[in-house]
Amino acid sequence: MSSVPAQGYLILALILFCIGLFGALTKRNTIIVLISIELMLNAVNLNLVAFSKYGINPNMTGQVFSLFSITIAAAEAAVGIAILLSLYRNRRTVHIDEMDTLKH
Amino acid sequence: MISFAWLIPLFPLLSFLVLILSGKKLKTVSGYLASLLTGISFIFTLGVIADLRSVTEYEATWTWLTIGTTDIQAGVWLNPLNGLMLFIVSFVSLLVHIYSLGYMGENDRRATYFAYLGLFTFAMLGLVMSPNLIQFYMFWELVGLGSFLLIGFYLYKESAKRAARKAFIMTRIGDAGLLVGLILIFWQTGSLSFTEIFQAVEQNEFAPGMVTLTAILLFIGAVGKSGQFPLHTWLPDAMEGPTPVSALIHAATMVAAGVYLVAAAYPLFLASEWALMIVAVIGAFTAIFAATIGLVQDDLKRVLAYSTVSQLGYMMLALGAGGYVAGMFHLTTHAFFKALLFLAAGSVILALRKQNIKEIAGEGRHLAITKWGFLAGTLAISGFPLLSGSFSKEAIFAALLEDGQYGLLGVALLTAFLTSVYMFRLYFMVFHGKGADKPPKSVPVSMKIPVIILAALAVISGFFATGFADWLAAEQEYAVLHHSPTWLIFLATLLSLGGIVFAYFIYVRKQMDREEWKTTFSSTYTILYHKYFIDEFYQNTIIYSTRAISYLMYYTERYVVETIAAFAAGMVKEIGKTGSRLQNGRVQTYGTVALLGLAVIVLIFVVRGGYF
Amino acid sequence: MGLLSLFVFSPIVGLVLISLLSNNSSPKIVQRYALIGGFIPLIVSWIVYFIYQRNNRLAENFSWFSYETDSRTLVIDYELELNGFRLALLLLTTLIVTLSILASVKDIKKNPKLFYQWLFILELGMLGVFASDNMFLFFFFFELTLIPMFFLIGKWGHVEREETAYKYLIYNGLGSAVLLIAIVAVFIQAGNANFEAVKDYMSTMDDQAYQIGVIVAFLVAFGVKLPIVPLHSWMVNVHVYAPPAVVMIHAGVLLKIGAYGLLQFGAGMFPETFPLLAVTLAVLGLINLLYGAFLALIQDDLRKVFAYASVSHMGIILLGIAGMNTAGYQGAIFQTISHGLISALLFYLVGVLINRTSTTNLEKLGGLWTTAPVLSGFFLAAALAGLGLPGMSGFVSEFMAFLGVFENLPVFGAIGIIGIILTAVYFLRAILNISFGKRKGKALDKMTDLRNLELLPAGVLLAFIILIGVYPDSLGQLLQITLETFVAGMGG
Repeated sequence: MSSVPAQGYLILALILFCIGLFGALTKRNTIIVLISIELMLNAVNLNLVAFSKYGINPNMTGQVFSLFSITIAAAEAAVGIAILLSLYRNRRTVHIDEMDTLKH
Repeated sequence: MISFAWLIPLFPLLSFLVLILSGKKLKTVSGYLASLLTGISFIFTLGVIADLRSVTEYEATWTWLTIGTTDIQAGVWLNPLNGLMLFIVSFVSLLVHIYSLGYMGENDRRATYFAYLGLFTFAMLGLVMSPNLIQFYMFWELVGLGSFLLIGFYLYKESAKRAARKAFIMTRIGDAGLLVGLILIFWQTGSLSFTEIFQAVEQNEFAPGMVTLTAILLFIGAVGKSGQFPLHTWLPDAMEGPTPVSALIHAATMVAAGVYLVAAAYPLFLASEWALMIVAVIGAFTAIFAATIGLVQDDLKRVLAYSTVSQLGYMMLALGAGGYVAGMFHLTTHAFFKALLFLAAGSVILALRKQNIKEIAGEGRHLAITKWGFLAGTLAISGFPLLSGSFSKEAIFAALLEDGQYGLLGVALLTAFLTSVYMFRLYFMVFHGKGADKPPKSVPVSMKIPVIILAALAVISGFFATGFADWLAAEQEYAVLHHSPTWLIFLATLLSLGGIVFAYFIYVRKQMDREEWKTTFSSTYTILYHKYFIDEFYQNTIIYSTRAISYLMYYTERYVVETIAAFAAGMVKEIGKTGSRLQNGRVQTYGTVALLGLAVIVLIFVVRGGYF
Repeated sequence: MGLLSLFVFSPIVGLVLISLLSNNSSPKIVQRYALIGGFIPLIVSWIVYFIYQRNNRLAENFSWFSYETDSRTLVIDYELELNGFRLALLLLTTLIVTLSILASVKDIKKNPKLFYQWLFILELGMLGVFASDNMFLFFFFFELTLIPMFFLIGKWGHVEREETAYKYLIYNGLGSAVLLIAIVAVFIQAGNANFEAVKDYMSTMDDQAYQIGVIVAFLVAFGVKLPIVPLHSWMVNVHVYAPPAVVMIHAGVLLKIGAYGLLQFGAGMFPETFPLLAVTLAVLGLINLLYGAFLALIQDDLRKVFAYASVSHMGIILLGIAGMNTAGYQGAIFQTISHGLISALLFYLVGVLINRTSTTNLEKLGGLWTTAPVLSGFFLAAALAGLGLPGMSGFVSEFMAFLGVFENLPVFGAIGIIGIILTAVYFLRAILNISFGKRKGKALDKMTDLRNLELLPAGVLLAFIILIGVYPDSLGQLLQITLETFVAGMGG
């Protein structure tokens, strides 16, 4: 079984990250933005796992870390969607460009 | 006594300070207080002069200002010339103070008036005792201030306001010349003290051409102060001030300061042919120029003012022709008889409440003492034999002859003739005629005494010519009194008497109709009456061009500078606006910016291979 | 904490005093406390003066922070040091601030508490600027003066106050930006921010082009403050629209930071290179002198006349500096102090005039002497001081500045003399218009003259003007050492 080289993982992670970044910065729908953020997180997880196998000192820490980050990502998504829900109840919109109260 | 000389100017200063600070309370006694203090000054002056006969020169100075390694001094310097000026100034000032007691009468602001007189006297006394040019310049400006304040004393009058401003500014133009002159002298000699400057002149320390240049610059100052052409126009306007002021400032003392400046810096002038020549020519031109204007003016005081300008021209002419003693002697006699004329004129004006000689039309004949006083002054200024003016004028003619300035001598003689014509025109029109017969207001005694004293001096002071020359000669070897040959004395007397007779036939016997004269020489008359249109000329050239430059600057300010300002402000605003677009509250924009920023940093890192 | 620090931070006492008052205490009480607060720095400044006179040296030094790079250590210390020039400016500052508080009594009705709080911060900044012996400390305090001024103009000014405040901030902000860049450029080279250390470093350095570049940057930075034409339009606005009490400080002290900075950063740090700019400075000085004078000639508002007069007078400072010799520098310094006193006096009187008549338009005023002889007397005296009448401080400074210029650049001096004549013309025109002639304007009919306490600021300022004019060595002796250090480094 020929193994996939480290570059393969990294390039996949890069592509995933860029898609996520693009989505996070351009989409109007907040749900999609949140999904894009998840995508970026997963790109990072992929990197962690890849390095835990192909890094200079391969060990399990990377994989453990990715488990942590998946957990935290879930929690973060829950919090994010909760905020979004309450915002939706108040403002009747999920469009991110209408939420500009940060400047006030 | 002489070591207390520094006190002399302080008494009038004290008078100024006391009256300006508490004038309202001291209104009634203000005049007496001021006169008393001036009187003390005069007594001190006499004491100093008595000492000067044996000491001949005295100097006491203190450090006033240190510039690097140079100390600039202030103090008192006394020599025969200063002593003479001290005497004239304190004496005339005292008389004018006494005269003013009557003249200002119940004027509401008389405390202020006497305060200003004190300030002026202080400055003038300080001026004549200056040991160096910078102190001289300071007091020179301060006398200008005194003159300015007193010309503008009737400050509700628009004309007084204008005249005061004109006087200050015109003399300041001259002062600027003086300032440049003294600064140049400082860099040539490293000192401003008169004695050190003279040493430098003697040892030829000046760069080539600098002697002439600095002398001419100093002379420009004198031109402004002494009302010489072309800066003379302020002096006739200065007659807006109270008449005693005209007698003190614009006849006897301040306007003579210009002449004094040339005399005080005489070694500098003697070192330059050109400078002397310019002094003489300007003096001669002013003398005849002002005399012709004096012929047709109708205002009593203005005629006297033009006569002052003309006589000051005489003094300059004398100094320019090497007649040091002659010039100073004429300055002295002129101080007496011109002060006399002004004070007598003041009595006329106060009694009759008018000063246009056509309106007066002989009404002055009722004022006996004034009339005789004025006659004495008129005869003296016309050079009537054996009166003071004849001696000093002859000394001037003699100096011109000695110097070989035959052209200028001719001008001077012609001016002498014109002088007696216009002065007797004035005298006849004021004191002879059929004007109203009602006896005018009487003149207070305090105004009569100075007139009598000055009349006596105007008559007799000429006999002291020789003693005067000896007095000045004690210090300066160039102080020589020239004596005229008999034919010159004869010619001068003839011209003077001729002028009197000429005026008599026109203005008393009315042999020739004046209106007819006016029509025959109408263009000449118009030119003379409008004083050669000099004022109009200045108005249309200098003043207009200054205003034009001002407006040019104004539009530059408005369109160029304001545009720059608007651009600067606009640029900042635009940058702000662009910046605020990033601050729109949308998370996505922030994220994009952060990403771009990161990209830039990474790019730099990659390209440069490090942070910097 | 040394005496100098105590002195520099002494306005904080006033600040705290004012802050402790309740928000609705009456303006009278606020003013009384402000006055107490103003007197504290004034008194301390005179104590400092006498101590300095005795010891001839007063300095303080703490290490503040340093920054290590691979090759060397960059040091910025907290350094305060006095010299004669600085001391004179400090005395001027405390005096004028105190008098300005006195002047503001009738002027400031709206929220006086806040006004005085800003005023004390401003004073703190000014004292710091003149006491610091270090470029960064200088800059710190320099910036500290900007903000209070912005609010003082914008909140308490007249008609176009907000626009003026922004203009002020923009110009001065740009000026400080240039200043900061120049300071950093010098600091990176010299590795030390102390004036003396920089001077020593620069004297061993050959790169003339670099030095000239830095000096030009300083010239621009302080040229905004001074101001140098054409960077002056903000300053005219401030003169016209800021409250007179603030203009007293602005014209009296803040503009002087420009002159001080130019001398300290230019002549003080680059004594060898600075003279190369003599002609540039002389040209700028002449432009200032004549441009301001010609414009002052046709203004129809008293405040504008005085504003352009300030522009013109700053030209004399530049001319004096351009002389590049003791006389010229001394003239420039004298002019700095003298103009501070004179313009403070002028604007104090303007404040009184506005208070009574609410106008400064020359067309609408006339015959002031009939109802207010004392006020018009002071106006006349101030104008005479401004036009350089001997016996007053203006003359001494003009004389020395011109004396300095004439040694090396006589042509510029000769042209500059025209400015002296014009000065007389515009000052007399303005003053005679309002005080002489027939009474004009209804407000003048019921006008009251200067009274009691109102006489104090005018009298004090005039007394100092005359003291310096009559006995200039009283100030001159203080300056000798400063001048020697400025001139000593010059190569020929």
